[in-house]
Formats: sequence, C-alpha cells, structure tokens
Amino acid sequence: MKGNNYDVIIIGGGITGAGTARDCAMRGLRTLLVERYDFTSGATGRNHGLLHSGARYAVTDRESATECIQENMILRKIAAHCVEETGGLFITLPEDDLSYQALFASACKAAGIDAEIIDPKEAISLEKSVNPSIIGAVRVPDGAVDPFRLTTANVVDARGFGAEVLTYTEVVGFIRDGERVVGVELRDNITKTRSRKYAGIVINAGGIWGHRIAAMAGATVNMFPAKGALLIFGHRVNNMVINRCRKPSDADILVPGDTISLIGTTSSRIPYDEIDYMSVTPEEVEILMREGRKLAPSLGTTRVLRAYAGVRPLVASDNDPSGRSISRGIVCLDHEKRDGIPGFITITGGKLMTYRLMAEQATDLACRKLGVRKSCETASTPLPGSEKKAKKKEAKRVFSMPGLGGKAAVGRHGGRNGRIDNSDRNGASLVCECEEVSVGEVKYALQELDTRNLINLRRRTRVGMGTCQGELCACRAAGLMANGCTAKALEDLAVFMNERWKGMQPVAWGETLSEAQFTSWIYEGVCGLSRFKEKKGGM
Amino acid sequence: MNFDTIIIGGGLSGLTAGIELQKRGQKTLMISSGQSALHFFSGSFEFLNTEEDYPEALKKLPAGHPYSLMGAEKVLETASKVQDFFAGAGVVLNGEEGRNHFRITPIGVLKQAWLTLEDYARLPSDKSLPWKKVTIANIEGFLDFHPDFIAAGLEELGAECHCRSISLPELDRLRNNPSEMRSANIARALTGSVIGNLAKRLSDVSAGSDVILLPAVLGLDDPRPAQSLKVRTDRPIEYIATLPPSVPGIRTQMMLKNFYTRLGGTYLLGDSVTGGDFEGRKLKGIRTVNHSDKLFCADNFILASGSFFSRGLLSTPSGIFEPVFDLQVNCPQERRDWTKENFFDRQPYMGCGVATDGQFRALRKGESIENLRVCGSLLSGSDAINEGCGAGVATITALHIAENITEGK
Repeated sequence: MKGNNYDVIIIGGGITGAGTARDCAMRGLRTLLVERYDFTSGATGRNHGLLHSGARYAVTDRESATECIQENMILRKIAAHCVEETGGLFITLPEDDLSYQALFASACKAAGIDAEIIDPKEAISLEKSVNPSIIGAVRVPDGAVDPFRLTTANVVDARGFGAEVLTYTEVVGFIRDGERVVGVELRDNITKTRSRKYAGIVINAGGIWGHRIAAMAGATVNMFPAKGALLIFGHRVNNMVINRCRKPSDADILVPGDTISLIGTTSSRIPYDEIDYMSVTPEEVEILMREGRKLAPSLGTTRVLRAYAGVRPLVASDNDPSGRSISRGIVCLDHEKRDGIPGFITITGGKLMTYRLMAEQATDLACRKLGVRKSCETASTPLPGSEKKAKKKEAKRVFSMPGLGGKAAVGRHGGRNGRIDNSDRNGASLVCECEEVSVGEVKYALQELDTRNLINLRRRTRVGMGTCQGELCACRAAGLMANGCTAKALEDLAVFMNERWKGMQPVAWGETLSEAQFTSWIYEGVCGLSRFKEKKGGM
Repeated sequence: MNFDTIIIGGGLSGLTAGIELQKRGQKTLMISSGQSALHFFSGSFEFLNTEEDYPEALKKLPAGHPYSLMGAEKVLETASKVQDFFAGAGVVLNGEEGRNHFRITPIGVLKQAWLTLEDYARLPSDKSLPWKKVTIANIEGFLDFHPDFIAAGLEELGAECHCRSISLPELDRLRNNPSEMRSANIARALTGSVIGNLAKRLSDVSAGSDVILLPAVLGLDDPRPAQSLKVRTDRPIEYIATLPPSVPGIRTQMMLKNFYTRLGGTYLLGDSVTGGDFEGRKLKGIRTVNHSDKLFCADNFILASGSFFSRGLLSTPSGIFEPVFDLQVNCPQERRDWTKENFFDRQPYMGCGVATDGQFRALRKGESIENLRVCGSLLSGSDAINEGCGAGVATITALHIAENITEGK
C-alpha cells in the first residue's frame, strides 16, 4: 500500500502511538505511523517498566486504579513475552503510619485489585531483599513490563496488518482544507527531504511533545511536564516489585526487570523548554539512594549502573485555565468539537499501563468519524511473540541451539525469535555477553526492526544495557552495522558511548567510575574514537 | 620475611621497578593480583601526545605532573633507557629518538606513539602511508577486529584496501561455542601446523598487495608464532591491535614477569595487600589476604597498584581514597567535580592519584613516608588517556624510583 493517502496518520512512536497504529490497522484502516526519532525515545523508554496493579492509585484515584488492574490482566494475556509476573508488595516501615494499610487494602478491593494483607514475616520470606524492619505488608498483582519489547511488538503487528511506519520522520506542518486537517507535511530527519501525506484523520500521540504538535494545528492543549528521575542497579536485587504503603511519594517503587532493578521516581515540575534536555541532578540521586535503601537495604552496597529521567505528560483540565487541576487519567480530545478543527484528534495523559485503552479510545473516535463500524479486538488478540502456539514451538527450537543467546532472545522477541537466523556459521556468536545478544539477533534487528543506529539497536536487543554498559559489545555491534559506511558507523559509536556515559555520570563512583575509566581506556586510549565524536546530539 | 624492597602491583610499572631493582642487586618481593592494564594493550607505549620534540613538550606540562616532578632532563635521560631495558626481557620495542611516530588503532585512526612492539605497524607520519595496496585480513567470526574501519582510515590516506576473511577449519571448535571466538582463544589455536595453513591462505588472498595487516592474535606465550607467520607468508605482515584482551599485552606481561623471576625476584600471584604497620614516618611491614599472620618486612616499599580500574584507587559517593594504606589523595572535593558531561572531555577523575613529595614518596596524614614510594598511574597529576602518557609515566617513574632507592636518595 504505497502512495500518499491514508485513512489515519498517527504522530508519535511511543507506546501510545504504536498501540494506536496497531488498533487502527487491525480495524482495516489504511494507517501511517510517523516518529521523529526512534520508537520509545520519549517517556516510553524512560520509566519504571512497572506493570501496575493499580494499587498505587487505589486511595487517591479510583478510576485510574480500575483502568490499571483491567489492563494489567489484559497485558498478561496479550503481551506475555513482555511481562514478568513477579507480584508486588506494599510495605509499611516503622516510620510510616500503619493505619494507612487498612484504608489502602479496602480501596484496592473496591477498585477490583486483589490485595491481601500478609504477615511481615511472610513478606520477608517471599522477598528476601525487603527491609527486615517492616511492620506491615500487602501483596498485590504488580509485575514488570518491558516497554521496548511492548512497543516493538505493537509496531510489528501494526505492520502485519498493513500499516506503514516511518521512523526519523517529523511532522513539521499540517495540511489544511479550510479548518479541516487533511494531512501532514513531513521531514525525514536523516536525509532532510520533505514529503506530504494525506489522511481523513490525524491522531496526535506525541506525549509531552503533543503540546507542540497540537499548537502547530492551532489547538491549545495545556501540558505540564513532570520530570521523574530513576536509578538502575547493576543486578537484580529484588524479585517482587516493592512499594511503600503510603500516599504516593518520591522514590517509593523498586521494580525488577530482566537482569537489573530500578528505583524511582522523583517528581518535579520543569519548564516546557527543558523537556528535550533531561539530566539527573546529584540531589535527585541522593533522594533515590536514601529512599531506595529503606525499601531494600542491600541497594546501599549494590552498584548503580546509570541514572535517567523521563517526562510525564500531565494535562490540565480544559475547564481550568490556571493549570492547577491536573487530570492523571486518559485524555482523548476531539478537536473538531473542542476547537473547530475537524480531522484532528489528540490522545494523551494516561500511562504506559493504559496505552491499549488509550489506543482503543482514539481509534473508536477515529472510526466514528470515518464511518467505520468495526469493534476493537486488541484486548483479546495476542501480540506477535505472545501467541500460544509460537511460544511452544519456539521453546523447542531454542533449547536445541548452542549457548545461551537463544534463551535470552526468546525473552526479548517471544515467538518472533524464530525469525532470528543463527544458522549462518557465525550467527550464534555473542556480540554482547552481559545480555546474551547474538550476531543473528543483531542482524534480525537490522533487517526487520527499523534499526538505524546503535541506540536503536540497544532498544531492540538490550546490547550495551548490561553491567559493562557497552564496553566491547558496542564496538562489535558497530562493526556489524557498518555495512560499507564506516565513518557513519564510527560517528554512531561515538554518539552511543557518549549517551551511555551521560547516564553513568550522575552515579559515577565505585564500580561505575572504574568501568567508565576502563571504557575510556579502550575507546579513546586504544582506539582513538574521539576523532569521530559527535557534532550534534543523537536520539 | 625480609626483603630489600617490596613492590605492590604487578602491572607495567611494578614489573619495571622490580626488574630494575633485581638488576641492581636487590632482593625484592612483588605482590600481584594478576590482571593489569597490559591486558588492554594498544601495542604501543605512549610518552606524551605532542607533535613537538619531547624536550619542548615537557616544558608545557603543569607543575604537579609526574614528569614535572622528575624534571625534564631526568625524564629524557630515563626515557632513553626504556627500549634497551625491555629488549633485555625479550620485549622488542621500536621508536624514533625524541619524538612520536604513529600506530594504527583498531578503528583505523592513526595515533601518536613512543615505542611500538616489533611486528606491529609503525608509521613515521599520519599524512601518508608507505603502502599503495593493502590487504586487511581477519579471522572469520572474530568480532573484535574490524577490517572495514581500518580500511576506511587508510583509504583516506590514499591506500587501496582489500578486506579478506580467512576461515580455518582448525577454529571451528571455537566457532561452535558462542563466546569462544575471542583473541586469547584464537591465539591458543594458532600454533604449530596451523600457522602454515594460515600463511598459505594469506598468500593466496593478498596477490599484488604491498602489505598484509592482521589482528594481533598470535603468540600468547612468546612472539614466535607471529614471527613464523611472517617468514612463511609471501608478503610482509604487520599486526594491528584488537579490542581487548590484547594477546601481545598478555604475552608482554608474562615475559616481564618471567624475566623478573629469572633475575631472582619473588613473585606472589593472586594475593593482595590489606595494610601495613607504620612506625612514625616509616612503613615497617605489610600484610596480605592469603598470609594474614605474616608481616612482610622490607627497607623500602613501592606502591604501583594502578588507577581506578586496577583498584589502586576506590571511590564512594562521598570521596576518593587509596585503599591499602589510606594515603593522601589529590582529587576534587565535590563528586560533581570529578566528571564532565561529555564522554570525550578531559575527565578530572583521570588525574586523581596519591599525593607525593618530589621523590615520589607517598604522603600520609600530612607527612611523607620515607620508605614508601609510588609509581605509575597511581600517581596524581597526569591523565594517561588525554595526555597520552600512561606507559611513559609507568616505566619512567618506576626506573627513577628504582635508581633512587638503590642510590640511597
């Protein structure tokens, strides 16, 4: 389906845009998804990766809590290969008010969340890393979800249903027919070429950047960027999600994910013009370390791999121009009704957990406007990689493969792992030992997963995400990616090393500082990579 | 246990000091944890990144730099002995008098160097090459060497490059395990008759080339396999460094260690020093993990335990310290001043190290310890990577200290 005409164009390659593209394509709409950089380069790639049970919101926001638990149960089915069913605890520390626990548990029940007050001793036996001085514990169905995998699976499926997907393609203007939005003006951010694409409906799924996109169309969506900083620890400290049983506050969630653990988040309002330049301050690191140790004391002696920060898109209620009344729920704006701009929809607010529901609401609205009567099936159709048959067949294949790369890859790509070709005599060779990424997996990502640079590759395969933070694997992967264009590959390698360092710098002490020195020794001392150092920022 | 001198650290600097002291008739003990920066060797020693002659460049260094503490004259005098010193241990290094030449890095950049291991490519200039047609060959499936990157670098200088992948059945066993195709394993396999096969394959694929460039993955125990391949191949071969581990680096460390023990030095491997007993401004003896009941005594001590990644320095969120004797460390007070935001910027932490007096005697609680000297990358005031002086500082300060100890300075 080539050409310039679509039923729907979706702006934004985060989880919301990817989910919306999948839903639209499944309903038979001719769909185009555009993303200015790479998938998951915004808030989707910069959060806890927490499969919320909704318990966190049970007391303060019943509606969000209910949405969360419903989507939690759906994701376990449709995205099994992206989800780890770890369970979670809400713990009460001696300094906390234990009376909050009863209120919390009953609010959970009312929202439909299976929360069970358990003996603190039982909690300690369930989760060895938890602070042994806890005076209360509630068990909830929290889990971990990999937002990179989840987004990739949605994109792969949208494509399977006929959607077109363009990364590194930015919307620089809207094409109008009177007030109506009838298309978008696009710029390829790599070749700098421009093009025009037309559609009956344009959906703005740009997250915090959606504020600017809406403004370009002439609509005001008041967004308030809230920065959240997180720390990644060098190994998996906890096996269950650990939360504080109190009103949501700073650094009170510790989530296990693959080989690491994550503590977060801080929360601070930032000016809109800082959203593209996030960095973690020493004060934020201090808060996260201090509060993290209270959840799991061993964090105090665990290596901190890196720090990062994301921006939550908080949306001001339409009836409150002051912006004080913030909606944390899903915001689906019909700009035809609201602003007199037909053909334009914004889907924002919400959270990673509710992306599917957000996509459903946006797609429902688009379908109504396009006169398409097909109902949503995303809640019951498994994502590619999570089909039941695929998994069993894959498990059989993988255990006959040499080495460990196969098992790790199944975790990342689920049933899609069958598309990784390790049959080439060098295919099974490991590029990244920390994360067990094989040559074959790198090639698969290059061929099928819109991988244009090493940062893309990291998001698709976890190359360079392990304890060494890209010491040797980055150069190996750059070699595989060079493919005739070596200067670009080396510039890309320099950008990648710098990006890795930016996450390490706020936590550069102990092992992380030693590792950084070693990395400099290799990449600058031995190789002389600074000759290719970046002239501009990379995404 | 009594020694003339005990050396803590078995890397390039510690080994240099130990060998020199043995040569000078001392009875020494060396305590080494095993691995050292030599395992990540580039194939070349660097003295200082500079396009000028060394005497000029030395004048511009800051006062706290180890070279400045020694004085330019002494540095140059000592530097001129390094080549012969290593040749004595069987490690043949080549360079030019008083100025830099260039080496080819694993990503095809030409970088300044002082002394380069024999068999490695060594260029007098970074503006032109001595070859017109170059074959760059790799072992099939070896991911830590990238002919394409090297070709791109050399093509910029006008060479015609041909990248070849050599497949040897003798390496299939390694290939069948996903994490075995690494440099040291390849080196273990590339011995004996395999060399002949490799030579034949290289001769076949390099017709018309002026030179064959190969990853330095031959000769883990001694340089003979690398030399034998040269002799048996129709065209000249030059080696280029791989990503770590460095086969010639591991070999060099072993040859230095063997030379040290042949000279009568006592080498204690896999142990580490836990601390020492001080008497006023003197260190009386040290204790180790494996011999906690013993006090190792000596007239003099040398601390050559390296920088952060060798654990000579440790850091916590609140400070940087020297873990063995809690010596005084020169470093910025605030953590935010240890680092810069850009990976390629000069990073202040690289210059951190133990504070010493002009004779490289360590400072502890505000006083210098008379018989405890520091050498190599543990010294403060130099940035091995940014200034390109790692091996220079390691070897030159070690030789200087050895001389001072034996001459009673």
